[in-house]
Amino acid sequence: MKSNKINSIMGMAFFGPALVLLTLFLFLPMLLTVIFSFTDFFALNPDLTHFVGLKNYSDIFKDELFTTAFWNTVKFVLIIVPAQTLGALGLALLINKATVCKKYFKVAFFIPVVMSLAVVSNLWMQIYSPEGILNTMLAQIGIEAQPFIYSAEQALPSIAIMSVWQGVGYQMIIFLGGLQAINPALYEAAEMDHASAWQQFKDITLPELKPLCVFVFITVTIGAFRMIVQPMVMTGGGPSHSTYTLVYDIYETGTVNWEIGLASAMAVIFVIFVIILTIIQSVLTKDKEAKSNAKK
Amino acid sequence: MKKAISAGIFALLLAGCLSGCGKSEIQPGDVVGFDEGEILVSMWVHTIEDTPEGEAYKKSVESFNENFNGKYFANVEFIPRNDSGGGYSDKINASVMSGDLPDVITVDGPNVSAYAANGIIQPLAELSEDEKSRYLDSIIEQGTVNGKLYALGAMESSVGLYYNKAILAEAGIEIPTPDDPWTWTEFSEILEKLKPIMAEKNGYPLDMTFPVGEASIYYYAPFVWSGGTDLVSESGLEVSGYFNSEPVANAMQYFRSMVENKYMSAAPIEKLFESGRAAFKFDGAWEVNTIYQSYPDIDLGVAPYVVSDNWDGGRYTPTGSWAYAATSKAKNIEAATELVKWMSNEKSGLLLYELTKSLPSTYGAYDKIDVFTEDENYRHLYEQLRDYGHPRPKTPVYPQVSTSFQQALEGIALSGKDAQSELDKSTERINAKLERYKRENEE
Repeated sequence: MKSNKINSIMGMAFFGPALVLLTLFLFLPMLLTVIFSFTDFFALNPDLTHFVGLKNYSDIFKDELFTTAFWNTVKFVLIIVPAQTLGALGLALLINKATVCKKYFKVAFFIPVVMSLAVVSNLWMQIYSPEGILNTMLAQIGIEAQPFIYSAEQALPSIAIMSVWQGVGYQMIIFLGGLQAINPALYEAAEMDHASAWQQFKDITLPELKPLCVFVFITVTIGAFRMIVQPMVMTGGGPSHSTYTLVYDIYETGTVNWEIGLASAMAVIFVIFVIILTIIQSVLTKDKEAKSNAKK
Repeated sequence: MKKAISAGIFALLLAGCLSGCGKSEIQPGDVVGFDEGEILVSMWVHTIEDTPEGEAYKKSVESFNENFNGKYFANVEFIPRNDSGGGYSDKINASVMSGDLPDVITVDGPNVSAYAANGIIQPLAELSEDEKSRYLDSIIEQGTVNGKLYALGAMESSVGLYYNKAILAEAGIEIPTPDDPWTWTEFSEILEKLKPIMAEKNGYPLDMTFPVGEASIYYYAPFVWSGGTDLVSESGLEVSGYFNSEPVANAMQYFRSMVENKYMSAAPIEKLFESGRAAFKFDGAWEVNTIYQSYPDIDLGVAPYVVSDNWDGGRYTPTGSWAYAATSKAKNIEAATELVKWMSNEKSGLLLYELTKSLPSTYGAYDKIDVFTEDENYRHLYEQLRDYGHPRPKTPVYPQVSTSFQQALEGIALSGKDAQSELDKSTERINAKLERYKRENEE
């Protein structure tokens, strides 16, 4: 009994500081955001704050810019999620098979992950510039100079590709860990049965990696939804708002235009949306698992 | 019991965390130089101490304290800020909420209106006509909201239409006088003439971009002003009929014609002007120093800013920079005004010029700096600022006006969207932001 009490005090002492800091800097701000979202809180004049009910929410859905930002974000997600997940899996498979310079490749693909996003964005602005490396290379094979981030059509895919390049190494390492954890006996058995490489991949590798896939899928999706640094540094959300994202809109509204109330409502909508999406994703993936278990 | 213990620990930790945050007033003797009987004036500036700019501020404050020894004591706090102004303005916003503002703050010129409209800053104590007349008109204009003077700066800024003398001589083009600048039509003709010459050099007649951020409205709003309109009404509370008026649409169309006729590159090319591949460039006054220091091969000239065909001779060229203002928390407005005047006076302006090469704000300072009489490019920039300087739109929703201007410009000039409908859309967006102020006025 006594040791129990000591244990409990010890436990509190360990997680107490973290709890206090989390409360102060995470839970409290989250709660305040929800409260502010029902007011017209204006940073320059907090005294004039009124309770406005759901007005912010109805304003947001009427706001053309918010809708544009929403669809831009969805476009980013639709490009980044498949490209980054499949890219990471592909790279992991290749590196796993590599016999020489394995470490070199691992490090090389991982380096962009540890670089600051602002630095990477500036680097790619040089690569994408009208007289930059990429256009010089295109000119070599007879393709005329492309505007990339300076055109409303190409800016979004250009930034998405850059983001995939930047982030893919992280998921690759996760997949690599997963691949190395697969019991080699499974492959040996498959080879005895003359299973082809594709069959081995489809029936051994993929099912074994399944839980990891779900994790990667969800984290990449949430990461892509949070896109802001790249467009902010590279295009400022333009040209013609073609790379203006949800989080960017929240930032502009709250910090640049000082409308904390409206920005809070946007943030709440954003969070709800991401939560719904995550639930859908996990339900979909779980369902399949359950079914395949049932079959067995 | 268990609960009580955990609650106790929790409270203890919370108290420990919070106790570090409390801040007490500075008392005489706490800071070196602050003596009994002196009135404390606290001030925030938007830069860190270890920059040339910070050094200039520090020296000005020191000389203020010497000069007003026994009467006032100014205590300056340096607050870092990033390129886009974050950091410092976040601190101001947070302090507005917590009520911790100092007596004097620095404000970027275009934000004076918003800060005044929201009661963050208060009008300065009355200045004599003689004191006012020492400042450039543009400085007084920038600091005045609804007839009251709120802010005075030690720095001014300007944008030049720079030209490459060698290229213009090759094309046989003469530079007009400041009182008879090129009109849009004339400028287009010149660009047309330069186009084949520049094509040979693998360049464009004009090195121009419409960057995101403050630069676009700063560089290109003169095209609107010289067309005889403003982007917002006099009161700063109306945009319909201003932002979406015909002269603004015409200016936007003019920029579109620059892109369409390939007088400029649609996608920005680095160092086009600096490498001798462009005849003209719009850029801040700092460009003169850059060219002198890093590109001595370029023979640089400053041409008068281009005007609309209907220009009536009024003020139209870019201005604006950081200024000092007294916050509404300043209890002793006389003391705060004294500090604002000191920080923006001739001596402080000279100090800033010396350390950062930024343009001063007083006539006296320009007279004392040789380069503004001896170097023709600096002289042109000064004369343009003195005779034709125009402040940026004075409205509490300036940030929205600035972003809308850039977005409209980009959409119309680069993507070829319909000028009127783009401007109408922007106007609607700005109007939505103005609602708050109109409502206040009615209340």
